[in-house]
Amino acid sequence: MRRALPVLLVLAAVLTAPVPLHAYLKFGFRIGSDTVDVKWATTPVRYFVNERDIAGVSAADFRATVARATATWQAVPGASLRFEDLGFTTAAPVGLDGRNTLGFLDRPDLDRVLGATSLLLDASTGTLVEADIFFNTRFQWSVAPQGEAGRVDLESVVLHELGHFVGLGHSAIGETERTATGGRRVLGSGAVMFPIAMTAGSTADRVLQHDDEAAVQDLYAADASGASSGSITGRVTKDGRGVFGAHLVAFNAETGRMVGGFSLTSDGTFVIAGLDPGPHIVRVEPLDDADVESFLSGVVDVDFRAAYAPRMVVAPAGGSSAAIEIQVVPK
Amino acid sequence: MTSPRWGATVAGVLLSCVGLASGAFAQPVDAGPSLRAHHVTFAGGVIWTGGYPIGDVTAQLRGNAVGSNPPPFMLFQAESSVDAAAGAEARVGFAMSRSLTLEVGVSYQRPGLTTSLSQDAEIAAVTIDAERLSQYVIDIGAVWQLPRITLGRRVRPFVIAGGGYLRQLYDERTLVETGSVYYAGGGVRYWLRGGDGLRRSVGLRADGRALWRVDGVEFAGQTRIAPVFGLHMFMEF
Repeated sequence: MRRALPVLLVLAAVLTAPVPLHAYLKFGFRIGSDTVDVKWATTPVRYFVNERDIAGVSAADFRATVARATATWQAVPGASLRFEDLGFTTAAPVGLDGRNTLGFLDRPDLDRVLGATSLLLDASTGTLVEADIFFNTRFQWSVAPQGEAGRVDLESVVLHELGHFVGLGHSAIGETERTATGGRRVLGSGAVMFPIAMTAGSTADRVLQHDDEAAVQDLYAADASGASSGSITGRVTKDGRGVFGAHLVAFNAETGRMVGGFSLTSDGTFVIAGLDPGPHIVRVEPLDDADVESFLSGVVDVDFRAAYAPRMVVAPAGGSSAAIEIQVVPK
Repeated sequence: MTSPRWGATVAGVLLSCVGLASGAFAQPVDAGPSLRAHHVTFAGGVIWTGGYPIGDVTAQLRGNAVGSNPPPFMLFQAESSVDAAAGAEARVGFAMSRSLTLEVGVSYQRPGLTTSLSQDAEIAAVTIDAERLSQYVIDIGAVWQLPRITLGRRVRPFVIAGGGYLRQLYDERTLVETGSVYYAGGGVRYWLRGGDGLRRSVGLRADGRALWRVDGVEFAGQTRIAPVFGLHMFMEF
């Protein structure tokens, strides 16, 4: 789900939970004592496009925009994700009809929700069975190549929602500030999967960032061995106890790539995967740049100051670093 | 990425040294101590290498503004350097003549890697603890003892130049970075014994070198230069 400004969480989070021990957030599904990735079992993922025109965006424009966004996800190196466009449909992008549909929907009640993705899972395997994406006609949309001031760039939002469509959750690599109306404004973003959209008219989110690429490479790895990437593992602690829900960013000092992750267990354990081998600066901060619920369920600890890992950490090729401990202090 | 300017400088220094070395063959045998031609020399001792920066990088997010190229949002800035370190070095040479020796050297050092973090809106500037590197260099060089120049009865100056292979391992030995080194410099040999062309030479050797590193642990793709000082005991066989 992508919101112009955050309000209540609408995404089907009750069906999903964050998968522990991975970078960024992937949707997960608990089967017995195991948590499995929510993903498509096979590709290409086939989809239909609703034939409805709206002001400023014809059905053909919409279909072409979706095609560009799917091509962007498909172009991620090291990932095997593929899509197939099956053409137009009159079906609405909601409900269970056995087909994956993307389209516009009138949702004036969701006055801060640009778009949302609903997922249907096979409860025995956790694999995706159906997914639909709607884009809210309450907003003015643009498909102009350079964007249009005051109009939301459709391709940017399609790209974000397609991330959910294939099983990705939100990234927290971004900084925001409170606005006078109680919402948040993005100051900077390091991922298309950041939950809050850029200013209307911006086209920046048409380009996947390193964190987005690491996520899809992990979920749909073309190289199953994982030998080309490394990971960093450790714990975030406060007063000797684990911190749940701390947001971590691993910054490769050589390549400049940033990949995020979370401490997803009560003892504060984290793993940031999909990293370029090399030395990384690891930064931890509370999850306070968007609604906590847009990332994780559970009691997330946000009462601590941002900090760095006490040393640079090397992610080895095809393996994991020795565990590090990052101690944080209350605010 | 190699800096073309430094690359040209290194090449120029090496070519100059080769030229000087070639000229040495034309020099008459001079007075003063020297190694015996066609004998092997072993030298072992300590070296110290000065610290050098390996790159300033900025962690930044895409800024939020309409337009094709909005200014980025800075998260923090990181300035990293390899610290000065002492280590051990062994060199084996073969005297082509009394003035010119070709050498193979091996050295080992454990320099620290330090990173200073700043410009973070939420965290005060901090220097994070050093990561240690295990650093190996294998090089081939030429030592040319300067003709007709003596600094006392037992001391002879020389110039040295060469190049080699650099191998650096991070602390946990899980990642290796490789590169190349080039050096040029000079020093003196002090004979404790021998040097007269009849007896085995034994003595001390001190030198200073400018060392250019290409690749290895390097965050900005630049060639780096650092001083190296060595003190060895040498023995001729």
